[in-house]
Amino acid sequence: MAHDFEGPMIRVVDLVTYYGERRILNRVNLDIQAGETMVILGGSGTGKSTLIRHIIRLELPTSGHIFIKTHDICHMPEERFDLLRHKIGMLFQSAALFNSMTIEENVSLPLCELTQLEDSTIRIMTRIKLDLVGLNGFENYMPAQLSGGMKKRAGLARALAMDPEILLFDEPSAGLDPVTAAGIDALILKLKRAFRMTIVVVTHEMASAFLIADRITVMDRGEVIAVGTPDEIKASTHPKVQQFLNRTPEEEAIDAQAYLRTLTQSGE
Amino acid sequence: MKVQVRNVEDVAIIDCSGDVDLYSSPRLREALLGQIRGGAKSVLVNMGEVGYIDSSGIATLVEGLQLSRTTKTRFGLYSLRSNARSVLELARLHKVFNLFETEQEALEKIGSVQPFGGL
Amino acid sequence: MTGVLALIGRNTLAFLRYLSGLYDLTSEAVYWTFVAPFKGREIKWDNAFHQMVLAGVNSIPIVSLISLFIGVVLGLQGAYQLEKFGATYYVTALVGVSMTRELGPLITAIIIAGRSGSAFAAEIGTMKVSEEIDALEVMGLNIVRYLVVPKYLALLVMMPCLTLVSDLAGILGGGIFEIYQLDQTFAMFLSATRDALVMRDITTGLIKSLVFGLIITEVGCYEGFTVRGGAEGVGKSTTSAVVVSIFLIIFADVVFTAIFYYTS
Repeated sequence: MAHDFEGPMIRVVDLVTYYGERRILNRVNLDIQAGETMVILGGSGTGKSTLIRHIIRLELPTSGHIFIKTHDICHMPEERFDLLRHKIGMLFQSAALFNSMTIEENVSLPLCELTQLEDSTIRIMTRIKLDLVGLNGFENYMPAQLSGGMKKRAGLARALAMDPEILLFDEPSAGLDPVTAAGIDALILKLKRAFRMTIVVVTHEMASAFLIADRITVMDRGEVIAVGTPDEIKASTHPKVQQFLNRTPEEEAIDAQAYLRTLTQSGE
Repeated sequence: MKVQVRNVEDVAIIDCSGDVDLYSSPRLREALLGQIRGGAKSVLVNMGEVGYIDSSGIATLVEGLQLSRTTKTRFGLYSLRSNARSVLELARLHKVFNLFETEQEALEKIGSVQPFGGL
Repeated sequence: MTGVLALIGRNTLAFLRYLSGLYDLTSEAVYWTFVAPFKGREIKWDNAFHQMVLAGVNSIPIVSLISLFIGVVLGLQGAYQLEKFGATYYVTALVGVSMTRELGPLITAIIIAGRSGSAFAAEIGTMKVSEEIDALEVMGLNIVRYLVVPKYLALLVMMPCLTLVSDLAGILGGGIFEIYQLDQTFAMFLSATRDALVMRDITTGLIKSLVFGLIITEVGCYEGFTVRGGAEGVGKSTTSAVVVSIFLIIFADVVFTAIFYYTS
């Protein structure tokens, strides 16, 4: 798996997703280059988490394609995607550690289940990953004994277990205090420099986005409204982007008649 | 990945080439541990042709180092490419191994190192 | 009127969707239990043994105690009826046959639905809510193989065992009443029981218990996988795992009892 691949690592083409009647993603197009750190920025409910879940095929789109290297992952059988999946790691918003297993068992699980490596090799690999995220010495702790930030670190060690080429982060700083969140950001920067992995981060934290990103994608209501380097995004004149950067609250359209109707309408 | 073993006097050299990853590192492990257990006085791994090494490869080398300490075998690596070196550094292992620049340097110096790693 | 019809229609559709979901889960579990091991994908035995202890061994006290009481009650009620004919000797037969054919499997199933069915739903539901299920999927580990099959195997082994325990405890409960109230000796009780029971009584009960075990696992796991909306959702699923599995157990009981009746 040398980094010998030319062209975008991840290419999203005309992605459309409905949940029932509700449209979550609307013709999303996005290229993520090999080795770059792409931050997907947007408020809650803008479809950014849904997008990242599509990239790892936790969800399938209503229409459109996602290519990882040259493979169209939305239209390939499950078994074939499995081989590709091993090269993608994901850190979940809640870290998603298996609560019935120790930290070491959590991190080594993919290696034990998916490779033919010897237990002794796996143990050393697990320790290396835990050391990398700063959790040396916590092998035998249960997830419940760790703080929120440490859980995220352990989740990251697990995501790194298979030496992925692509690393996905869903709201890495969610639920953490600013100091701990900054620690996670620093960790992402360290990994980015060390491994030249393709990293995709979904977040609504602007400070962290501008710190770690090579490029930023801004999303609003299921659509990509701006893509560019942090400087380009700062200079963007798109009203929604500016609104997000300046933290202006959403202006609500006031329609007096419609509002009155919602107040006086009797239940069906 | 290809693994070949040759002997220069009493030193066993493992020439490793290609990508050392989750699927190929067991073969390196077999060759490496086999040489150390087989009673070689010194074992060197030639990393010059290794394009990519992942953490399973690093872990395999650590296993080799660990075993070499119990068998009192001299163990070293040489001709590391920059990415292999940075992976080692990231795992904070570059000071644990005996690292040499060239095969010649490795052959000259391996005889004089302590038979249990650099620590 | 149309409102009522629409309601009936909606609920029927929802029920059919539920059944098809159960069917999908069951067929996948059957594949990973009986087919995949022959293709080199081994079963998680240590996991299965762990479940056997949780669902099976730990249920022995409660199953035997409740069955014992039911045996005593059956003896009392049977004696009340049979006294009128002076046939209290047949109380033993009544207890033995009803325990093995019907009440042993049923009581066991209801207790296990309450103990393990709910635990399955809660375990898987919590994993779903905390994204652990997603994490398994992202790693490429099959969730049915990993989570459902060990539970399924555990109940497949443990339900018949617990049913036998229940049968024994119930018959013993009846025996206690008969010996102390109906002035029978232990030997009389034993021989009356042996005369009353045929092998078929026990085997039909065990066959039922296998089906009940299947229902409990599938419903419990299915409810867990379909949890929506956080901790509250887990609570709801846990409750409906018990209610739905007890309903399906009784329904299956009717079907199997009818089959056994007409084929004997």
